[in-house]
Parts: sequence; C-alpha cells; structure tokens
Amino acid sequence: MAFVIRIADLTKHYGSIRALDRVSFEVRRGEILGLIGPNGSGKTTLFECIGGVLPFDAGSVAADQPLFYLPDAIAPWPAQPVRWALDFTAGYFGAPSGLRDIVVNALSLEPLLDQRIGRLSKGQRKRALLAVGLLTSRQVVLADEPFDGLDLRQTREVGAALRSFARDGRTLVLSIHQIGDAARVCDRFVLLSGGTIRGEGTLDELTALASARIGPPGTGSLGSGTLGTLEEAFLALT
Amino acid sequence: MPSPRRTAVRWLFTKEWRELVASRAYWVLLVVIGPLAGMSFISAVTAYGELSSANGTGEGVGQAFSPLTGVWAPTFSACELAAAFLLPFVAIRLVSGDHQSGALKIEMQHPLSSWSRLLVKGAVLMIGWLIATAAPATGVLLWASYGGHIDVPELLSVMAGHILNGGLTIALAVTAAALTEHPATAAIVTLTVTVGTWLINFAAAVNGGWWERAAQFTPTAMVAEFQRGLLRADITLAALTVIVAGLALAAVWLRIGVSPLARMRASVLVAAIAALAVAGASRVRGSWDVSESRSNSFSLADEAAMRTIRGGLRVRAHFAPEDPRRSDLEYRGLRKLRRAVPDADIEYLSATSTGLFEQANDQYGEVWYELDGRKVVSRITTAEGVRDAVFDVANLQIPPGSQPADEIFRGYPLSTRPRGAAAVFFGVWPLVIAGIGFAAQWRNS
Repeated sequence: MAFVIRIADLTKHYGSIRALDRVSFEVRRGEILGLIGPNGSGKTTLFECIGGVLPFDAGSVAADQPLFYLPDAIAPWPAQPVRWALDFTAGYFGAPSGLRDIVVNALSLEPLLDQRIGRLSKGQRKRALLAVGLLTSRQVVLADEPFDGLDLRQTREVGAALRSFARDGRTLVLSIHQIGDAARVCDRFVLLSGGTIRGEGTLDELTALASARIGPPGTGSLGSGTLGTLEEAFLALT
Repeated sequence: MPSPRRTAVRWLFTKEWRELVASRAYWVLLVVIGPLAGMSFISAVTAYGELSSANGTGEGVGQAFSPLTGVWAPTFSACELAAAFLLPFVAIRLVSGDHQSGALKIEMQHPLSSWSRLLVKGAVLMIGWLIATAAPATGVLLWASYGGHIDVPELLSVMAGHILNGGLTIALAVTAAALTEHPATAAIVTLTVTVGTWLINFAAAVNGGWWERAAQFTPTAMVAEFQRGLLRADITLAALTVIVAGLALAAVWLRIGVSPLARMRASVLVAAIAALAVAGASRVRGSWDVSESRSNSFSLADEAAMRTIRGGLRVRAHFAPEDPRRSDLEYRGLRKLRRAVPDADIEYLSATSTGLFEQANDQYGEVWYELDGRKVVSRITTAEGVRDAVFDVANLQIPPGSQPADEIFRGYPLSTRPRGAAAVFFGVWPLVIAGIGFAAQWRNS
C-alpha cells in the first residue's frame, strides 16, 4: 500500500503541556482517513504540525507530495464574495480549468457565489471553505472539522461529495469529533486522545482491537451497526 | 504562458488591492486627507498672497515668495499628519486582517515566499498612499489656475519626501502587525515608535550632540529636508534600508511553521544587517539642491572656489542647542558649507542646552574656523558671514561676481486668494471620494 504521508514520533509541547506525544501513523493514497478524538485531544495541533503551520518539537512528517491543510473556524477574505474567493484560490494555487465548476456543483455553492464570505452562516462558510481546500488542486487535503456547523442533510451531501473526490484520486484526512459523521465518510480511522494515538485502522481492525481489550462483539460490550461499533470501539480504546 | 509564480503574484496583487479597496480605514484616510490638505493650502495661499501684496521683488525677499516653502511644504504637510495618524491603521488592517481571518494560513501554504508576499502587500499600500497624495496635489492645479509659478523639481522633491515617509510608515506598521497578535497592539506599537522619533527630535533640540545626529534620520527631519528642496543620499538610503528591513522583519514573523527561536535569530540577523547598512548609508555624502532659489547652497562661484580647499577645514561653533543663533548659523550657513566642503569637520560646543548662563563665557557665540594652522573667528551667523570666514581662513579671494544679478532669486510673488479651494477640498473631494468608496464597496458585495 502506497503511503502519501508518514508521521513518526511527532511530539509537540505548549510550555509544560505535552499536546502530542510520539504520534505515529500513515496516510494511504486515495483514502479518506478520519482523525477522531474528543475536544482537546490534539487533533488541530496534529493537523497544524502536519500542514506545516505549527513547528513541532520532535519527530518527522514525510509527505511524498505537497498537501493542503484547511483550518477550522476561519473566515478568510470576509469582505470578498464567494465567487471571487474561489477564483482567487484556483488562480493562486494553479488549479486546472474546470475544477472550480466541479467543486461548486459538488458542494452546492451556486446560490452562495455572490455573497460575501463574512456574511455566510457557519454551515455555508464551512462548505465554501471546503471548496477552497479542494480548489488548491493539492492531491492530499487535511480538513479540520469539515462537518462542523452542517446540518444532517448538508453533512450527508458534503460527505458524498468528499467521497467522490476521493474516488477521483484525492487523499483526504479529516479531523472529526462527531463519530457518526466519521463512520459515514471515512475508510480508515486514527483515534487520538490526550495527544496519543489509541488505535488506527479500518472499522473491523478497530473493533478487533477493542474486542481484544474488552471482549468480542455481541457480548454486550460493543454496540451493533457501524456507528454503534465505532462509538464503542472509540470508548473502549480511549 | 506566464510562470506559476508570476500568476500567483498577479493573483496576490489583485487580492491585496481588493482588500485595500474593501477597507473602510482606507476610505476614511482618503476622505480626511482632502480637508487636511485644504486647511493647509488655504492658509498657505492666503499668507503668500498677503505677503505678496505688501512686498516687492527686491534682493533678500525672494525666499519669502518661493512656492516651495510658501505653498508646497505647508500643503503637503497634510501627508505628514496622515502618515502618522491614518496610514498605519490602513497598513495594519491589511496585515492583521489576514492574521485574524485565517487567510494567512491558506495563502502561506503556497510556495511563494513570505518576502514576496510582503513586497506585494507593500506595493499595494504604496499605490494606495500615492493615490492619497492626490489630495494635496490638487492644490497644484488650483495654484496653477491662480497663475502661480510651479517648479517641477521642487514639487517632485516635496512629494518624494512624503512618498518615502509613507514607505517608512507602511514598513513600520506592517512590521508591528506581523509581530503582534492583535491590530490594537500593532497600532499602539506603531504610534509609540512615531512618538519616539518625536522625542528624539525634542532631545536633539535640547541636548544636541548624538541626539542631533540621530534626529537627522527621523521621518520628520527627513521630510523637512525634502521640503527644503534638498535630496540627501544618506537620508534617502537610510530610509530605504529601514523600509526593506521592516518588510524583511515582517516576512520573518509572518512565516508559518517556524519556531519562535528561529524567528528571533532571523530577526536579530535582519536587525544587525540593517544597522550596518544604515551606519554605512549615514556616511554617504552626496546631496542635490533642487530648490530654484538654491536655498541649500552657496552661489555657484563660491562653491567652485570652496571646492579648491584642501586639508581639514575645522569649524567649532560655540552655541547651545536652544540658542536661536545656532539655528540661523546652521540653516543659513553651515548646512551650505557641508555641501560645498563635504569633509569639513563641523561641531557645536556648549556646556548647557539653553546657553543662558554661558553668555559670560568669552568664547560663547563665537565660530572658530581652522585650516592648516590658520584660525579665523567670527560671530556672524549669515551665509555671507560663513562664506567670508571660510574664504578668509582658506586664503581665498571672493570671486568676482560671487552673486551675479541673474543668480539672485527674487521669488514669485502672487497676490491672490485661494479661490474655490474651500469648495474643492471641503466639498468636492470628500463627496467624490465617498461616492467612489460606496460604489467600490457595493461592486464588491
């Protein structure tokens, strides 16, 4: 399996607080990897370190191609309309022609194109930002909380759009604190808690790992269905 | 097919321009600078007109009727106010906006260097500043419509001083915005530095010495030199160095993914190189007097004679910093001497700042000129007094026709009123700018 990013023993301190403790995992080409963890688990710090936004104290991040990190809770160019922000991103990062229309259609942004970014609702802004991330034309995109602020319908639509981009060859790494959202969209998962990796793998692999710790499925320890299983595995492992 | 880098720079330039146009701070600057320039222009033209009615064009009164000192310097002084109190906020907004909105985290992931990004930002801000100088420049059109004399090199000299001052302000504000987390902090830092340069000027006026040398390089002193029609290589090079260093420091602090220690190291390196460059620039001697009245120079014949002086001309002037005679001596004589004899060693000597209690000292008020063991003492503080003393100590003959009649600047008196200026600066300018501003914001939305 080809890896596009290999993170080894990544460690980051904020003063005396150890935010990341020897974090190691790999991202495979063409997959959607979900980084799952509760608030304060170090997801954003990890993304910022991988994305080159934040320096780290130890460890390494090896990427075989440029990646793009899309931060959470930002509202870039608030005075500019969405249409211009997308044109700027595509032009600035050298996106291939036609990608803008594909992204706009996939994320249902047509009605928002003439609105200023600063006036968008949280969910609308999140979709516009995802479009910015996808328009950078980087094959690997790290998106911090891509579903935050989206309602159920929007979450499903955006999830489907992300899956279609992954099918077209994009590798997506999504930081998600809502396990249900992660279960619907991601191929593999990395569980992060307290700045350390508690598990990595597909749902089956995580379930097996959790079972080994607390007992097999069906014994009452793990829930049923994908969502239930992932939630139980997460709780068991973190 | 343009290169990806050039395409990125073009997009970045467009983005910065749109952000500037979207900034209300910039439109406030543009609106306000009109009435500021208007106030200065109207009072300057009124005073110029009144003086012109009262005086003739005889020798000696010409300086009073130079548009450079009578009209352009006061009118463009609006730019100095705007540069100190308005422009910093526009520049800070353009940098801090990227910081706060998160745009920086997106844009900095492009391989384009932070230095290139800062250059683009600086270029857009300079264009914005040039547009702002159109307000006092409107006074040029009005002055021409009154039949006033315009000397292009003089006008360009004044404008160059304010453009350079704008560049300094932009570099300072951009650096402060890059170094601090919040725009309010950046504004305080910028204003603190500005006030600090005023304190240096104050200390120079009181203490002289090193303070006086340092004060030559403050923005206020720099603008004053340009307003006198004197282009000094040392000041210009020092200002350009500070601008480049400011942008470089900002570039260091806007880089992402770099540890604070690495930033500190790079900052120290930039500061050290800038300090060396400024020290080197301060030793460059070239200067050009573009004033039509040659107010910064002796006559051509006198200068030619002074250029033959070999050896170390030494001048010791016993005047306290706050003594008004010292100011007379400096501006009428010694600054001209510095240009004519660049390696002259000129120093002021005094024990106190006011000189009030030094008057009893025999030497106080004397100016000693020394060359090759010869000494001449003088108490005259005029240009002619300095010239005569220098010629005396250098054993030179005052050249015949030292000040020929056709070299005497008789000025351009113009008995006029600032007709229409109030309507232009207080009515038309703010309305037109506000209209364009609203249209630009509406088009953006």
